Amino acid sequence: MQIVIIGSGVAGVSFAEKYRALSADDEITLVTREHDGYYSRPLLSRGFSKADIEQSIILKPFDKLRENNINVLCGVEVTDIDRGDKTVAINGSCQEKELQYDKLILALGSSAFIPPPFRPFEKLFFCLNSLVDLKALRKFRQGFLSQNQRPEWAIIGGGLIGCEVASDLAVAGDKVTLFHAMDRLMERQLVAEDSALLLKVLQDSGVKVLLNQAVQEFIKEEDKVCVRTEVTTEFDGLLVACGFKPRTELAELAGLKIGRGIKVNQYLQTSDESIFALGDVAELPNNKLYAFILPIRNQALWLAEFLAEQKQDPWTPPVFTTKAKVHGFEAVHPRKIS
Amino acid sequence: MPDYKKYQCGVCGHIYDEAEGDPDTGIAPGTLWEDIPDDWRCPECGAEKSEYDLMG
Repeated sequence: MQIVIIGSGVAGVSFAEKYRALSADDEITLVTREHDGYYSRPLLSRGFSKADIEQSIILKPFDKLRENNINVLCGVEVTDIDRGDKTVAINGSCQEKELQYDKLILALGSSAFIPPPFRPFEKLFFCLNSLVDLKALRKFRQGFLSQNQRPEWAIIGGGLIGCEVASDLAVAGDKVTLFHAMDRLMERQLVAEDSALLLKVLQDSGVKVLLNQAVQEFIKEEDKVCVRTEVTTEFDGLLVACGFKPRTELAELAGLKIGRGIKVNQYLQTSDESIFALGDVAELPNNKLYAFILPIRNQALWLAEFLAEQKQDPWTPPVFTTKAKVHGFEAVHPRKIS
Repeated sequence: MPDYKKYQCGVCGHIYDEAEGDPDTGIAPGTLWEDIPDDWRCPECGAEKSEYDLMG
């Protein structure tokens, strides 16, 4: 059997390794646009306080997967899925232009969600959704540090990523202002008491937190960028952390059923019986997406066992809590999610 | 005082520091890696102990 996996995040890599452990003979090809190997996405939020992060964030070079008889095509884009022929068309510096599959695993993850009002200003801000993004941010920051200056940051979005990055930049010594639209931080993951604690922890670390903010636009002012709410404030660097958008484009193009993500049944199977979805892109029958490491890895391991015919019962999400990697913060009432 | 080591999860990058332990999952500060029960799981991603590597 030929298995093709698109994506080298925790979903794709966990699936590939588990399936290889269960099947010595089936061909496994993993296609990814990444170049740097399998890296830890959670550690992107610690991208400024650790000096060696660009190396230490890599958990497994792709050669390690190749040594395990997993064919990795990196720096490659998948441009099309031909469901009739059961092939995917690929574009990159590899020899192959087309891959045949018996089973296709879509583990593309998500891109940064940019609220529509901000889209005209994409050249003015950073996102932090990948190691490529982190390297760009670090290079920008290094420009200031090497002139003995500290950049002043605006972070738009006080959710999980916004709070973690604000904390990390503050601990690394930069000045940070965090803008949040709602009346408390991380309102989706935390109870009110913990939002208040988080606010205090961030403020104590030097972050200026502005709640109930309606950010209207961004304006370039010479070498600064301004954030306009009721007032206009200027900063050196701007980071938009307003959520994620599952990468459903390829699936949609191929005619698979999509909602917010790629719609799957309880067996993580899409509307095409040979195509499965894992991770951020997989939208379960209850319209739920599981965009956290623990359930994603759980899905990936389950699917490998299911396709290797070692499991028959459908996937059930494990109970888990989310931990915000904000320096010095520990939720008093962590909420269990399932 | 023992030479405390650090171990990193090969799945998600979470670091277990022997000096700090992991009180949330019942591992007291100062607990050596070999003394952590075999059924302990990475608090970040659920990986088993076998997925961790000693950090050099």
